[in-house]
Amino acid sequence: MAYSEKVIDHYNNPRNVGSLDKGAEDVGTGLVGAPACGDVMKLQIRVSADGIIQDAKFKTFGCGSAIASSSLATEWIKGKSLNDAETIKNTMIAQHLALPPVKIHCSVLAEDAIKAAIADYRAKATAKAAE
Amino acid sequence: MPAAEPFCPACTAVQPPGQADHFARLGFARAYDVDPAAVERRYFELQRRLHPDRFATKSPKERALSQAQATSLNDAYETLMDPLGRAVYLLRLSGIDTGGDGKTVDDPALLMEAMEMREALAEARTPAEVDALVGRARAEAEACRVALARLFAGGDLAAAGKATLRLTYLDKLLDDARARRLNVA
Repeated sequence: MAYSEKVIDHYNNPRNVGSLDKGAEDVGTGLVGAPACGDVMKLQIRVSADGIIQDAKFKTFGCGSAIASSSLATEWIKGKSLNDAETIKNTMIAQHLALPPVKIHCSVLAEDAIKAAIADYRAKATAKAAE
Repeated sequence: MPAAEPFCPACTAVQPPGQADHFARLGFARAYDVDPAAVERRYFELQRRLHPDRFATKSPKERALSQAQATSLNDAYETLMDPLGRAVYLLRLSGIDTGGDGKTVDDPALLMEAMEMREALAEARTPAEVDALVGRARAEAEACRVALARLFAGGDLAAAGKATLRLTYLDKLLDDARARRLNVA
């Protein structure tokens, strides 16, 4: 199967690889996995007090499409509000990267990782507000 | 023992492979615990009887049927000999899709363990470091296989599904470790 040029670009030059401090109260962490292939993806966001994603990092152990999907996801969500970031759909990622049908689940993983990171951040913020 | 004989017991002519499951095809009961040596013996015996040389002078229909039988037999053999493939297949026979139906893994502890082990592997700089991780993953994969035999025998499919997913991640790690071993050597 041939990867699209965009997938190859993200695979060779992944954007925003790395980790943020999981314990920091302004950081949300999403950890997701694909049951069929054993891929695992971590996506983290640092959020400002006014709800803007200041920074995003990812670490993905999986195929080229999974790496490209998460790399693109971090690129897209940086600078967005949490509400805007939540509107990103896997179909947008799949279309942008021209993923073949067998690799659509990689884009699903990236969408779920964004959502999980946002949910984690919000849970922390709610817990902090309740203190 | 349910068996799906590839030859007619009366006239010995080769038969279509039909819908037999992989266990029945090799003459085993549907269970996680299988004896690999017995699977191997049965497989080679049947493949020998299905060898194309034996069908060189037979009709085109019989040649085609023998090939279809040989292909089905290969699928069955590969599934029964692979501890992960066997678990996935047993779950599928019970109507459980281990592919998650397009859903992502809902087991935070498993994901954390997988991420931690993959990070450690990516950071390993010497063959000894890779080997230590491989040793740990192999021991845990073996524990998964022991647990799977017990869980399938007891009919606890939910727990068997969890153990199968864990084995999927461990197998993937061991695959990656083989490549990593070459890079650090």
